[in-house]
Amino acid sequence: MIKLDGVTVAADTPAGPKTILDAITCQLPEQRVALVGGNGSGKSTFLRLVNGLAAPSAGRVEVDGLDLAANAAEVRRRVGFVFTDPMAQLLMPTPVEDVELSLSRVIRKRSERRAEAWRRLAAWGLESVAETSLYDLSGGERQLAALVTVLAVDPAVIAADEPTTLLDLRNARRLREAFAALSQQVVVATHDLAWAADFERVLVIDAGRIAADGAPGETISFYRRLAGDG
Amino acid sequence: MAKADRWFGTYHPLGSAVERWSVGVKYALLLGLSLPCFIIQRWPLTSAALLAAAGLLLAAKLRARQALGLAPGFFSLVVVLAVFHAVTGDWLGGLVVAGNLVLALWAARLVTMTTPASLLIDALVTVARPFSRLGLQPERFGLAVHIMLRSLPRLSGALAGARQAAAARGLRGHVGRQVTQVAVQAVGYAQATGDAMTARGLGDGER
Repeated sequence: MIKLDGVTVAADTPAGPKTILDAITCQLPEQRVALVGGNGSGKSTFLRLVNGLAAPSAGRVEVDGLDLAANAAEVRRRVGFVFTDPMAQLLMPTPVEDVELSLSRVIRKRSERRAEAWRRLAAWGLESVAETSLYDLSGGERQLAALVTVLAVDPAVIAADEPTTLLDLRNARRLREAFAALSQQVVVATHDLAWAADFERVLVIDAGRIAADGAPGETISFYRRLAGDG
Repeated sequence: MAKADRWFGTYHPLGSAVERWSVGVKYALLLGLSLPCFIIQRWPLTSAALLAAAGLLLAAKLRARQALGLAPGFFSLVVVLAVFHAVTGDWLGGLVVAGNLVLALWAARLVTMTTPASLLIDALVTVARPFSRLGLQPERFGLAVHIMLRSLPRLSGALAGARQAAAARGLRGHVGRQVTQVAVQAVGYAQATGDAMTARGLGDGER
């Protein structure tokens, strides 16, 4: 379970100190949680806290009972992070090599690692592009490959920051289906309200605070009103 | 960006004999072909090494254009250097300098285009392992070198993008602005790469 207790994130900017998240307290036991909110509302920072990419200025973040401040590496092992742009996330030239890189933490023997990487990619229908340059993949294939590299180390939680933003309709649908098939706890920040409606719980983040929290129907309606869209 | 990716070349399995050679042999070839030419600086040696490198690249079943082609920026640099030497009265020296640069690129491609990146990293890690007693972490070293190489085509692509963006706005010749734009992108790219590595726990423990 993910737990945030009085979490504030502040940053120094040229214009002075800025509060990005303001005293957030919540518990996320649900398997599928969506974060919605405007650009700069703080939802990406919320997600980055869960993986330890951002540190709280005040308060406490816990994942499965582990305090992020004291166990950052262990928290990162439990929480996989999917970025908006897979090209920033994928470090190796081809999907199979990138999955191998993820597996290098858990499988020492090269031949076993390679075989496992192929198996993982095949499970997601990516075996035909396993040795294709990332630059020659479609946006959907890249994002799916990024997801496989994250899943390779069997995280308990997947945090994804607007993973469908750069994708066309077909690829976005493909990725949504992939996320729907995951057995892990999934926390996704998204602007895709139709997708958010499929989640168990939706948090509306606005100006660094949780403006609404609950079932998708009511929270998404609230967010639409907040954004002046109906 | 895809063009920029092929600056040094990316490995694609083609089933050639060169591909099956060990990484050590390929690194030895890289050094054996290029170092003597840079030290001795004689055109017969450079010509022979160029022929050998081209022959090996073609023997690796790579397409000639892909293996031997030069990016416009690199080609311009080579020409400028050759012309400079020619103007100063040493046209043969200019040819050797230009030839050696092309040779270095082709010899590097002989390694990068016929070897999976993971094998290259492993080879670097093996070479760096004796230095672990001095505090160097071989796994991080191997990955850092790979990330550095990965960033070069990305930056080259960013420069091309900045030029196109400037041209689209009718702002030709503002080199300073383009360099600033690329520098900002480079910082952003470095930040994103660092985040990706941290998120994947690559800095947290041994590979």
